[in-house]
Amino acid sequence: MPDYKAPLRDMRFLMDEVFDYPATYAAIGAVDATPDLVGAILEEGAKFCEQVLAPLNRSGDEEGAVWKDGEVTTPKGFKEAFAQYVEGGWNGLASDPAYGGQGLPSSLAMAIGEMVAAANTSWGMYPGLTHGAMSAIHAHGSEEQKQTYLTKLTEGRWTGTMCLTEPHCGTDLGIIKTRAVPQADGSYAVSGTKIFISAGEHDMSENIVHLVLAKLPDAPAGTKGISLFIVPKFNVGADGEVAERNGVSCGSIEHKMGIKASATCVMNFDSAKGFLIGELNKGLNCMFTMMNHARLGTGMQGLCNGEASYQGALRYANDRLQMRSLTGPKAPDKPADPIIVHPDVRRMLLTMKSLNEGCRALGYFTAQLLDIAHRSPDEEKREEAEGLLAFLTPICKAFMTEAGLEATSLGMQVFGGHGYIREWGMEQLMRDARIAPIYEGTNGIQALDLLGRKVLGSQGKLLRGFSKRVHKLCEANAEHGKFKAQVAQLAKLNQQWGEMVQQIGMAAMKNPDEVGAASVDFLMFSGYVVLAHFWLQMALVAEQKLAEGSSEKAFYESKLMTCEFYFKRILPRTAAHQLALAAGSDCMMQMTPEHFAV
Amino acid sequence: MADYKAPLRDMRFVLNEVFDVASLWAQLPALADVVDADTADAILEEAGKVTARTLAPLNRSGDEEECQWKDGVVSTPAGFPEAYKVYGEGGWVGVGGDPAYGGMGMPKVLGAQVEEMLNAANLSFGLYPMLTAGACLSIHAHASEELKQTYLPNMYSGVWAGSMCLTEPHAGTDLGIIRTKAEPQADGSYKVSGTKIFITGGEHDLTENIIHLVLAKLPDAPAGSKGISLFLVPKFMVNADGSLGERNAVACGSIEHKMGIKASATCVMNFDGAVGYMVGEANNGLAAMFTMMNYERLGVGIQGLAAGERSYQNAVEYARERIQSRAPSGPVAKDKAADPIIVHPDVRRMLLTMKAFNEGGRAFSTYVATQLDIAKFSEDAEACKRGEQLVALLTPVAKAFLTDLGLETTVHGQQIFGGHGFIREWGQEQLVRDVRITQIYEGTNGIQALDLMGRKVVGNGGTFYKLFSNEIRAYVEAADAALGEFTNPLKAALDNLDGLTEWVLGQAKQNPNEIGAASVEYLQVFGYTAYAYMWARMAEVALAKQADDEFYVSKLGTARFYFARLLPRIHSLSASVRAGSESLYLLDAAQF
Repeated sequence: MPDYKAPLRDMRFLMDEVFDYPATYAAIGAVDATPDLVGAILEEGAKFCEQVLAPLNRSGDEEGAVWKDGEVTTPKGFKEAFAQYVEGGWNGLASDPAYGGQGLPSSLAMAIGEMVAAANTSWGMYPGLTHGAMSAIHAHGSEEQKQTYLTKLTEGRWTGTMCLTEPHCGTDLGIIKTRAVPQADGSYAVSGTKIFISAGEHDMSENIVHLVLAKLPDAPAGTKGISLFIVPKFNVGADGEVAERNGVSCGSIEHKMGIKASATCVMNFDSAKGFLIGELNKGLNCMFTMMNHARLGTGMQGLCNGEASYQGALRYANDRLQMRSLTGPKAPDKPADPIIVHPDVRRMLLTMKSLNEGCRALGYFTAQLLDIAHRSPDEEKREEAEGLLAFLTPICKAFMTEAGLEATSLGMQVFGGHGYIREWGMEQLMRDARIAPIYEGTNGIQALDLLGRKVLGSQGKLLRGFSKRVHKLCEANAEHGKFKAQVAQLAKLNQQWGEMVQQIGMAAMKNPDEVGAASVDFLMFSGYVVLAHFWLQMALVAEQKLAEGSSEKAFYESKLMTCEFYFKRILPRTAAHQLALAAGSDCMMQMTPEHFAV
Repeated sequence: MADYKAPLRDMRFVLNEVFDVASLWAQLPALADVVDADTADAILEEAGKVTARTLAPLNRSGDEEECQWKDGVVSTPAGFPEAYKVYGEGGWVGVGGDPAYGGMGMPKVLGAQVEEMLNAANLSFGLYPMLTAGACLSIHAHASEELKQTYLPNMYSGVWAGSMCLTEPHAGTDLGIIRTKAEPQADGSYKVSGTKIFITGGEHDLTENIIHLVLAKLPDAPAGSKGISLFLVPKFMVNADGSLGERNAVACGSIEHKMGIKASATCVMNFDGAVGYMVGEANNGLAAMFTMMNYERLGVGIQGLAAGERSYQNAVEYARERIQSRAPSGPVAKDKAADPIIVHPDVRRMLLTMKAFNEGGRAFSTYVATQLDIAKFSEDAEACKRGEQLVALLTPVAKAFLTDLGLETTVHGQQIFGGHGFIREWGQEQLVRDVRITQIYEGTNGIQALDLMGRKVVGNGGTFYKLFSNEIRAYVEAADAALGEFTNPLKAALDNLDGLTEWVLGQAKQNPNEIGAASVEYLQVFGYTAYAYMWARMAEVALAKQADDEFYVSKLGTARFYFARLLPRIHSLSASVRAGSESLYLLDAAQF
């Protein structure tokens, strides 16, 4: 199986050289996060992920999480790894110091999160969900709730979950059936069944804090009648420690295609004691505050699987000998050449590399926006960051996970038949990557969110917020000696982007189906343009470093060359998306449901 | 998971209404006697029953149980041995086999439909008869009369099964470097020794004997691919009276744990001085494999289609039943809490993409199969040669393009199910896992693309390509103006492919790397253009009959979707081809 090596050089390139994280950290008052400390944290995080988590990835997949009589056992080593993670202080890295956290920037936590999920996606789900629950409690919980739950969650003694989906509703939460009945003591009795609850039950922590969406008996219909509740697995005694078991239990776990070591639970709430968090009937809003973060995190999973797959494929392509190069033997002393000499193997590797590094740039830029939006003292900067976040979040989630699936599939293909065999680890990465386009809002839903709510909903303003940055970058480099052609290519696409939105907007006024008909192609088009923007930005930095006589010539040259590959061989994909969406909705909507199966 | 239902209506549409295969059969003496439209119809009907009733119900359980290896013995999942018996006794293994040895003698174009049903019902199971039929093809084409008499009848009837032993641990794509050795013996037989991996059906409990076809080298063989010979190595020796004798020195060392097709035993086979018989001429083993390769590769392409069809059937049922959110244009199912998801444009986009690829793939694989039949059965030398050249050209497209689209289709089918698509019991994720192997085995899709561009297009200066291109152009030019909405974009796509082919022929002269750099995207442009040809021909029939039956309305709607939303992909792919190989060779190996 592929050994994981954290791509620290590329991470630092983005954090320090392309996006200037240190300046942001200074501006948001994260004075502790000096470049030296950040460097040390990343090094330590890399060690933990490479040495503790990565070795549990294949065995975790084979063993899976196991359910018996309501108890869930995680694979061997998972529990110990979580204890080490907590001891290392990783869990509260970016949490509020008032509740025991270290208060470091969330972008730094995301960088650690990248290494965690690349080393072991399944394992990463447990702290990942905990962080989601912590954000929700931090943003919406009462002071008492924070003292009771957030401190323990930050400490890593307890973990958290998000309980949204029910058997009959995933995307459409307005129709949930879980009920919360007010009790005399101010608490609620929560009853209902939730499915697909990641980390709903496991053996890694002494308590599990569920955040549950439910409706009051007299709640308005639809999404405006949903409230959010804290429901602990064990009730909390007056001393703040776990007391008797609450009325919540795990009915079974799912048998899945991938992320098998992550327990995906059916959770039964049977008059479980719950506590309202946030305002009544505002439960969905509470979820939305943490959604940008969670969706960026899911997008990062796509990148993580793609990165792990690339590392495996690259090693194999250098080792595996098969056939001679078309231009003559490259390893004449061996019976055949390493397969990296073959153009099609290079095409696959470069596709992976250019998608991975492009997605990493998008992810790290977006993480920086989260820091600014949450912590900048400058209101204007916060507002600008919020606008960009609203626009980029669905692209991060959907485009990065589509790219992750493509990259992991290519990584398998580089291995030939061995790619299909479990012990090599490449097929697991594809199976693990496959969930990311589905959960946390399917990619179809992300596309609707991007085009419908964000772009058209703002009359194009949110798109302009980003496209004007593209415009500026292109304008400033229009006569650049090296990148002139790429700049022209990007400028043209940037213009098409705006025109496309106008056309869809016009069509949608007459026919609301036009939005859904165009949305996925629009999102993919957007993703390729956004990556082109970041590739150009990275290439400009690399060019400058080379001009300054950097000693890391190979690294920066590799950036330039990968950029060139991206513009020549990947960016043309925009044409197909543009043409497909220009064809409109008629050819999709004319057929009756019966016509699909005659 | 929906019950599998063989798409017989669409198969009949393609066979009878689009390609009129019965007229072709009537012109080919070897087929005229054995098959006509009625016989074909009865065969399809029966194949639909056996696959849906006997094989489809074993698909999920087979995946969960997997094959088990213990002490050299492989057990297939519950129900598999009985099902193989039923399938063999029905004559399905030998559906395309020579009647002189007990085969049914049916044309490949019918065999292709049977293969689709077989693989859609149960891809893991399907590999056992498919490998057996492939081994039979090689034996039939190259073995001595005695070997044919001894082995073919029992293989056709499903009493014995076959395997193809090519790959070794260090050699998959590059068979020139295999190490398995064959020592000549005084009695004319050979002692075969070596290790083969990834041997599908190498060991199992379905049949009383397994007949391995093994690539090996004679002690004095020339180096490389010109020194490979083919040997028949039975698991149990066969006595003069046809009964089984002692165990031969071949054993299964282990089986692989795979992503999918888990009920298909993928074996490590150890040959330790096993008795073998040469098939065909010495050092000509690869050539002997190539005769069956076109059949096998088309078969693998059909596996891609089959998985896509199964996924589509499940997805349509789910999309019509699952209610979630309201239609953008207002509630459709007002009495329910939400609308069925088939009202949502993006769900339709996914379903129509699947439908257009499946039906396009069915037409294209059927078209290629008719060319195989012409090449094999025509008595007109010209027609035969044309058939052979078209087969050579189109086989790599059928293998790679249908399997690439099989993955895309099954991924869409999984996506429509939302979270449930990731859960094993719903069956959609298994189809993704199962179909993923088809892009890899039987020559990876990268190798298919090299074969297409290097050997089949550049290798003959574009002669084979011209045959196909001219056929499409003649069709476009002769087409009725009323068909313009389909033939105009088809013509534009063909012009594009012609231009791209010219470009490729020119580039290849200057830099051999250009072939490998452009090959995968070139194959895909070729595939989308070929499907456009298929969709125009299907639309032509449907346009004339749309008043008769909703089937034709659906066909036309799908054709329109294909031209509007899928064919435009050729523009991106062509731009990528024309970007050339340069950007692939900027980085040295260390810079990756």
